[in-house]
Amino acid sequence: MSHINRRQRAGRNKEGVMNLKKLKWTPLFICMIAFAAFTSACGIQSEITIGTQTYTETKIIAEMYKALIEDQTDLKVDIIPDLASSSLVINAMKRNDVQMATLYTGEIFNNHFPISGTKDRDKVLKEAQDGFQEHFGFTWMNPLGFENTYAFTVRKDLAEANGYTKISDVKKDMGTMKLGVDTTWLERSTDGYPAFSKAYGIKFGQVFPMEISLVYSAVANEQVDIVLAYSTDSRLKAYQLQTLQDDQQFFPPYDASPVLRSDLLKKHPEIQDTIAPLIGHLDADTMISLNYQVDIEKKSEREVAIAYLKEQGLLKS
Amino acid sequence: MNAFWSFITDRYPDILRALQEHLVLSFSAVLLGTVIAVPIGILLVYNRVGWMNSIVFFITNLFQTVPSLALLAILIPLLGIGMKPAILALFLYSLMPILRNTYDGFHSVDKGVLNSARGMGYSTAQTILRIQLPLSLPYIMSGVRITTVYIISWATLASLIGAGGLGQLIVSGLGVNKPEMIFIGGIGAILLALVADGLLGLLEGWLSKHYHQTQTRDAAI
Repeated sequence: MSHINRRQRAGRNKEGVMNLKKLKWTPLFICMIAFAAFTSACGIQSEITIGTQTYTETKIIAEMYKALIEDQTDLKVDIIPDLASSSLVINAMKRNDVQMATLYTGEIFNNHFPISGTKDRDKVLKEAQDGFQEHFGFTWMNPLGFENTYAFTVRKDLAEANGYTKISDVKKDMGTMKLGVDTTWLERSTDGYPAFSKAYGIKFGQVFPMEISLVYSAVANEQVDIVLAYSTDSRLKAYQLQTLQDDQQFFPPYDASPVLRSDLLKKHPEIQDTIAPLIGHLDADTMISLNYQVDIEKKSEREVAIAYLKEQGLLKS
Repeated sequence: MNAFWSFITDRYPDILRALQEHLVLSFSAVLLGTVIAVPIGILLVYNRVGWMNSIVFFITNLFQTVPSLALLAILIPLLGIGMKPAILALFLYSLMPILRNTYDGFHSVDKGVLNSARGMGYSTAQTILRIQLPLSLPYIMSGVRITTVYIISWATLASLIGAGGLGQLIVSGLGVNKPEMIFIGGIGAILLALVADGLLGLLEGWLSKHYHQTQTRDAAI
């Protein structure tokens, strides 16, 4: 038994062993490839990289930024989609791998810097603007005009059958209900599950934390009874879902804003002017219908973004 | 570092729960995979129809390469969410390496030994149980061990579809900007993989010793 080397994959005993002589050149090759990659990357590096979260709306807005900036300046813009969380986006911006993103004022509740804990819309915006400038050197522009907050959501038929209109209404059935949420919410301190349970006195029977894009089909297909959705998601409409009113006003504001590294703005102040037309221009209904075109009608984010900008007369070319 | 320890002390029930979920996910998948793939591998060895082997290998290769946990997202209406679909997906991942190693292990047994067995009047079943299985055990076990380590790392993706596990710590750590959660999820998976591999090594040692005894007993008879 012992003559067989057990660590080796079957059938690789003879030919699977690498010839050590061949290895001599490998480091040199790696260096060459790395050097080539490095130099070529430098040659075509774009000046601005926009990072987006995993959900559609941030991707559409990123395409709008890109279209506007490339339309009105000579700068080249790249987009890195699907960064797993807003904290990841912020860390990438800190490292200067990404210089721009769309973030929401409620982001301040994610342990970035000390906060007062207020849920007042204007105060939260001010705390975000001051805090991110002071601690990170980011310029947090004024809101685009819509909120994308958390919304408890049930199937319409379930809501009608049980007379659910506001969150407090589900308290009587909470023990038997299955909740689907994004993975982050359970951990959030100010506006997460523990604080929510305190405010409403609600604890659900079973909780399934999952990828946010999947909660909609999970509730529509009766895998769970109630989900914590993002309020601007078009699938709320498409899947016959009903959001419940936040009657305790528990959830903080989540106004979306463009956020950029301040040093980039110093170098290219014109960027701020190119995006300015979007500020205060996108309301929630607009955003929902744009999301709908991507998520339900399966158009590309870019085509939806450009069509919207053209329709609004914001693109010069 | 402080945040790290305080997280462990404050949240150890949650960490333990995540570990337990992760164990259940990986262990069920590997167990199912072994129970299914080893017999199929043996069947293939004795199967005389060449194209059937190719088809079975092709299918298991396919399972291995298709990112089934990602597919589960699309299959929610059919399979639902939580543990069961996640175990199913991980089980599909586990088939290929175990099957391949079983097959190769049986083929590695010396023809002379098989002929002697036939000469001594062993039936096919006896040959399989008393000769081929013990002799190919290192191969089969290496397949199981490799698979276990892979599955433990892949099971972190199960948190996408509400199956929990250590992946949940990692993903929510990313979400709320708590590096200590990401570390604990990641380190937990590493430790789990090492411990599982070690235990399987012990099992392998025990099995080969146990088999060795039966063989000498048989030989004495």
